[in-house]
Amino acid sequence: MADNLPSEFDVVVIGTGLPESIIASACSRSGQRVLHVDSRNYYGGNWASFSFSGLLSWIKENQEKTDVREDNENWRKLILETEEAISLNKKDNTIQHVEDVCYASQDLAEDVKEAGALPKLPAFGASDTSEAAQESEKECLPVESQSLGTESCETYPESVTCNDLESTTERKDAEMTSEREHLCDATFDQSALETGKTENVSTAKAAALEPKKITYAQIVKEGRRFNIDLVSKLLYSRGLLIDLLTKSNVSRYAEFKNVTRILAFQEGRVEQVPCSRADVFNSKKLTMVEKRMLMKFLTFCLEYEQHPDEYEDYKECTFSEYLKTQKLTANLQHFILHSIAMVSEANSDTIDGLKATKHFLQCLGRYGNTPFLFPLYGQGEIPQCFCRMCAVFGGIYCLRHSVQCLVVDKESGRCKALIDHFGQRISANYFVVEDSYLSEKTCTNVCYRQISRAVLITDQSVLKTDSDQQISILTVPPVERGQPAVRIIELCSSTMTCMRNTYLVHFTCSSTKTAKEDLEPVVRKLFSLNAETERESENGGGLGKPRVLWAVYFNMRDSSGIDRNSYDCLPSNVYVCSGPDCALGNDYAVKQAETFFQEMFPKEDFCPPPPNPEDIIYDGDGTQPEDPGFSSSSNTKTEPSPKESSDGDSCKVSEEHHEE
Amino acid sequence: MSMEDYDFLFKIVLIGNAGVGKTCLVRRFTQGLFPPGQGATIGVDFMIKTVEIKGEKVKLQIWDTAGQERFRSITQSYYRSANALILTYDITCEESFRCLPEWLREIEQYASNKVITVLVGNKIDLAEKREVSKQRAEEFSEAQNMYYLETSAKESDNVEKLFLDLACRLISEARQNTLVNNVASPLPGEGKSISYLTCCNFN
Repeated sequence: MADNLPSEFDVVVIGTGLPESIIASACSRSGQRVLHVDSRNYYGGNWASFSFSGLLSWIKENQEKTDVREDNENWRKLILETEEAISLNKKDNTIQHVEDVCYASQDLAEDVKEAGALPKLPAFGASDTSEAAQESEKECLPVESQSLGTESCETYPESVTCNDLESTTERKDAEMTSEREHLCDATFDQSALETGKTENVSTAKAAALEPKKITYAQIVKEGRRFNIDLVSKLLYSRGLLIDLLTKSNVSRYAEFKNVTRILAFQEGRVEQVPCSRADVFNSKKLTMVEKRMLMKFLTFCLEYEQHPDEYEDYKECTFSEYLKTQKLTANLQHFILHSIAMVSEANSDTIDGLKATKHFLQCLGRYGNTPFLFPLYGQGEIPQCFCRMCAVFGGIYCLRHSVQCLVVDKESGRCKALIDHFGQRISANYFVVEDSYLSEKTCTNVCYRQISRAVLITDQSVLKTDSDQQISILTVPPVERGQPAVRIIELCSSTMTCMRNTYLVHFTCSSTKTAKEDLEPVVRKLFSLNAETERESENGGGLGKPRVLWAVYFNMRDSSGIDRNSYDCLPSNVYVCSGPDCALGNDYAVKQAETFFQEMFPKEDFCPPPPNPEDIIYDGDGTQPEDPGFSSSSNTKTEPSPKESSDGDSCKVSEEHHEE
Repeated sequence: MSMEDYDFLFKIVLIGNAGVGKTCLVRRFTQGLFPPGQGATIGVDFMIKTVEIKGEKVKLQIWDTAGQERFRSITQSYYRSANALILTYDITCEESFRCLPEWLREIEQYASNKVITVLVGNKIDLAEKREVSKQRAEEFSEAQNMYYLETSAKESDNVEKLFLDLACRLISEARQNTLVNNVASPLPGEGKSISYLTCCNFN
């Protein structure tokens, strides 16, 4: 489609991270004409999540730091004499020190080829067998030549071989694509087949006891099952993001799971923290006395504001010092400080700690036994959900769309347009730009912090229990006082973020050094990095540490909390959104989005609920029911329902809720 | 929720190039309307139609692209938890047919591997302008293991058949799954939408 982009909007949003997406949807919802662009070919910016192959290309891209393509200055001609240009970044600089390590077995056994004879699992019925045959035929095609095709539609249906890394996925468990052929050769080895079978047989329990040896080839083959987030966050069940999702009905685009366990790391051991009333009473680790102490203290925290005399004297102290004065054992103090309040031992005062504990307790029980929710398919879904809402209300979406510069009117000092990579000039009243799009020149005086991140694919949970499907959060306190604590979120395969029999483990802390330097010591405390030798010694049946199969470390720029005056020469109608911050929740992004929206449109409601699609009544009465002659392709015979034939208004409008 | 008045609920998602008639198909089916020359309906997320098939009430939730296909920017989350996909092209537009492999690639990446895909050639009322022969489309759909149907949203040709056949397939698929798949295996759609999770307080 030679579809042309309109050249006039009310609001242009550049970047599809969480705050930008919320703003876009709020603006569109209130009737503004919104253009939402991202220079990348995926949604979310640094809030994105990737399949395994997608992450590999992201890693490559950020390691190469290729030179910026030749700067075409043609757009300068479009700037009038009364105008000035603020050029935008050509290259994202927010990710540094990217390092990936594979610990899983990478040897491509020689017998891998033989699996070609049994191309795939007979899992999905007869229809797949023909597809399998056809797919294996495709394998023999000279696929290289096809991958030269442009990304347009030049290739004909018969050659649906994927030709970029993004699409290194299998269709219905079929094989891999051409470019990664060297890897997918191994995909049909025996172990892969075995693991595949367990998907349909109920050996989940057995698998939990005896972890399968997962090879790198399997991870690549099942790469589509991974949704690996660049940021690791959770939703507080009484946090601003949940409130916004439910208020705006954007929640209908996503599904959530409860975090199932709060963990603590003490004396080299991982243990579960009892936090709900039931947990406390059922805990086998706590003594009766401890149970009473903990319940008493938590009950107090819920209404601490009503008892100022209890903590008045400790206001100036740190929370950890305050806890020592309470009737709590060292064990309980650790739980409360690190796993419930999750505040810094060295820097958080009593009020901070009490407030955090209260928030945690208030969130408890709204949706389950822990205060947190995690979105299925990863946090990266959330910005997309807001984008969908924006689009439903008429917002226009363009990925792979770069902006050369913002055009500022010299006299008024306001930004009046932008010029995109096609040289099209698009005017608007307001511009929302994510920080990473601003050029070095604009950001000269800005001082950024960094976030250290690690993502691990592992073969077992850090704390094994009866169920292998647990979502856990664990805070590892710093060894040295003053260092940042490391936050760990372990996701199981039912979160739809990793393949079966693996776990995805996210590490986050504010950076003091490179991500690897910050985080690897903690990784080593919890995991075994040497897959092979560990297995030998484990033959005795001992419960060794979980093994890391693959890991990536990187530093991400934290552009939160920056005063807008530190950006150079920013017109007043340009709003700068932050990338992800280091906090566990998403409050910062939601607050920022709401603040910017209110500044732009002070009289408008922020994301009010849209009409329920099921409540919309259409006035159409022109139903002309066609003769439903169901016969051919389906083998099930249907009868036209009485409703169809008799009822003229066939759109059934009802009060029902929709739920899968 | 106990008042839910249906036996099955399925999410059906439409994809395909801009202008092939996706919205018209949905509106024809759900409202019996053909809105000529009408752009995307602002503020309408999905449409609902409850049909009865062999005595079972089947609620179809039909999602449209919200225009995000215009510049090839559909969100991945759009595909999640869809039970069926209707991949639509325009029989009078070669380009919309040539783009099908690209759409299949998106499906491979983002949709559940259990999703049922139907290929639909729309606008057969414009037979004199046909650019894609039925045979070509049939060969393609066969090779890709998809069902194929030609429709006219304008003349209301095959539109009911498209959705009702699909509903039948979804029912039999769902039945099979409950038989085969009664093991506690994580599947998409197993998560909860937050508005319906139960509440129970700390105290």
